[in-house]
Amino acid sequence: MPPIQRENYRAAARAALRDATLQRALADVQGRLGPGTAAAYRDLKEGPALRRQAHDLRMRAVENLDILLERLADRIEARGGHVHFAATAADAVAYALKVVRQHDVRRVVKGKSMVTEEIGLNAALEAEGLTVTETDLGEYIVQLAGEHPSHIIAPAIHKTRAQVGRLFAEKLGMAYTDDPAKLTWAARAALRQHFLNADLGVSGCNLACAETGHITTVSNEGNIRMATTLPRVHLAFMGMERVAARLEDHDILLRLLARGAAAQRMAGYVSYIGGPAAGDQADGPEAFHLVILDNGRSRILADARFREMLCCIRCAACLNVCPVYGKIGGHAYGATYSGPVGAVVTPLLSGVHRFADLYHGETLCGACKEACPVDIDLPRMLLELRAIQVAGDAAWEGRGASARERLFYGAGAFMTCHPALYRTAMGLASRARKVWSLNGALRRRTPVLAGWTRTRELPPVAATSFRKRWQKDPEDKSPRFGAPGGKR
Amino acid sequence: MGAIRKKRFLRTLRTALDRSVRPAPAFESLFPDKREAARAALLTSGRERSPGQRQQLLELLMARADPLNIQVQALPDRAAVTAAIVSLVQTSSTEWGSDKAVAAWSHTLLAALGLDAALSAIGVPLTVVAHNDRHWTRQRVIQSDVGITSADYCVADTATLVMKTRPGEARSVSLVPSIHVAVIGLDQIILDLEELYARLQDDLLKGGEGLGRCTTFISGPSKTADIELNMVHGAHGPRALHIFVITGDGT
Repeated sequence: MPPIQRENYRAAARAALRDATLQRALADVQGRLGPGTAAAYRDLKEGPALRRQAHDLRMRAVENLDILLERLADRIEARGGHVHFAATAADAVAYALKVVRQHDVRRVVKGKSMVTEEIGLNAALEAEGLTVTETDLGEYIVQLAGEHPSHIIAPAIHKTRAQVGRLFAEKLGMAYTDDPAKLTWAARAALRQHFLNADLGVSGCNLACAETGHITTVSNEGNIRMATTLPRVHLAFMGMERVAARLEDHDILLRLLARGAAAQRMAGYVSYIGGPAAGDQADGPEAFHLVILDNGRSRILADARFREMLCCIRCAACLNVCPVYGKIGGHAYGATYSGPVGAVVTPLLSGVHRFADLYHGETLCGACKEACPVDIDLPRMLLELRAIQVAGDAAWEGRGASARERLFYGAGAFMTCHPALYRTAMGLASRARKVWSLNGALRRRTPVLAGWTRTRELPPVAATSFRKRWQKDPEDKSPRFGAPGGKR
Repeated sequence: MGAIRKKRFLRTLRTALDRSVRPAPAFESLFPDKREAARAALLTSGRERSPGQRQQLLELLMARADPLNIQVQALPDRAAVTAAIVSLVQTSSTEWGSDKAVAAWSHTLLAALGLDAALSAIGVPLTVVAHNDRHWTRQRVIQSDVGITSADYCVADTATLVMKTRPGEARSVSLVPSIHVAVIGLDQIILDLEELYARLQDDLLKGGEGLGRCTTFISGPSKTADIELNMVHGAHGPRALHIFVITGDGT
């Protein structure tokens, strides 16, 4: 499966809205995790203000990425680990294939990793003839179903227990049940064999520490520990921005990550991995490879407007509060990252013009900023993206607004700059208002504005314009905006 | 090849960051240690805990462990721990094989429990990790139902066991068997993650063993909520986690 790039936001969003099962699942995940995370921030001894401190700490790390990554790599290499700097997705995949050949790998188990989704790793490994098994329960379900994750930390949230039951009955040859516990234990038994037989464990990482030279993996299931302990080779991938400077920074970051991701005080399993197992250790992989991925991130780094996005630790807290994600779900975003984080990061990584629907689709309500454990101003960046798309920006391949849109706003601007013309036009509009309001259907059919008026009333122009009322009586406070019978 | 690639990669970052200063500033000057005083205070208060305060930490641990499905038992001495382990092994059911088996770290605290004799009395074999035979250790750990470890610290506030990896202290013992038992002394319980990181950072700065090749934090048995957000224990790792705290002087 190649990385999904459907770019079919509107159709997919409409389909999601009609899907009653998905609507229930989304309401459920948001109803539980959204308020849970807010409560978990209040429970911090420092209070929600700790998010601001985390933001500063992340920003300072991002502003010194070159130094932090070099130190991280040096420390890991000193312990016998291999570090590969990959400028592009293709580069990262090529290195993975090299590792696989070098270690004669046949079977691969994977811990959950969005970055490997981003680079399309599974497809490449399967094309090489390898068996690749996702081991996070949600990812496993999605893989068996031939689908893609719809939520960063709850990948199979779009599937009901009955759907999972039918899927497991078909793929695992078990008797049908819709009991989540029995289904989980069936997957546990099936995946245990995969863990024991695998030659290579692939993981992402949630954080890294430059000072000590470790990557940090976080899970609740324990699958990442299994995948990084039992196979003889461990191959880890990290987006280059994930590194923190000092070990003590992880105190704040891990506490916030657990709260943002799952409203927990602490994640079930956190592991610091700094290289292959030492010769005198009784278990653990004999070889360790870390791929540090750029793949468009340095372009984000270079732009002061968007650099803040690299503070993101991919916890999915913003998905759990976003009114848009809450209705259309993850698949509609048509890319690896969904929700508010996806609406900013996907255009920046994969094309501001191509993914314009994503940032236009968000509401700018600000809920994502409130929920973000590192206080990223996502609404600001959604607006910046819109500005780039309208004004055009060579650095981001922003093409600027369409000729029709430019003409429309140009005419509006010209009119407001020429009072006589403005007065005449408004006078005409006011006289035409009776015809206009005769038939609502006429308004709705006005083709140029259909995108707006299909779901909204376009109020007719007022009988007396504001300017006239103002000239007559500046003290007039009567609520006479819009025409009689208008919505307001 | 790799060196050139790394250089190019980092040069791209330096350009993006508009870094004109050459050579680039050092890590220590960019990220000075600002927490030295705070850390010293935390370490001192940790060292000087009264028996009453230690008891309070134990109670906090128990309160925090309960909703996480971790069973904490306070036991007066080593004999009580051994008895508790035997009873747990007797009452537990095997998940993967037909015969019950136990694996344990090679660790001084555990060695003093006399587990070999106690378990062989009920006919259950005990495997103690041998670091010089990886293959043997792996096979025996895979066949074990109960894995017994100790820990470096136990964080009360989050019910977190902290384990560094050392030669006899295999990672798989706390991971692969269905039931994980951790035996710790009362003085290994610390308050919260802030205190934990203060200790880890202090060890690091004093040139201690640091985090090594692998350090793991465990805050509960394996769990998942991936099917309709229903919490299920036992996704991959242990389905049960027991912490046995020796409250006496460790004899």
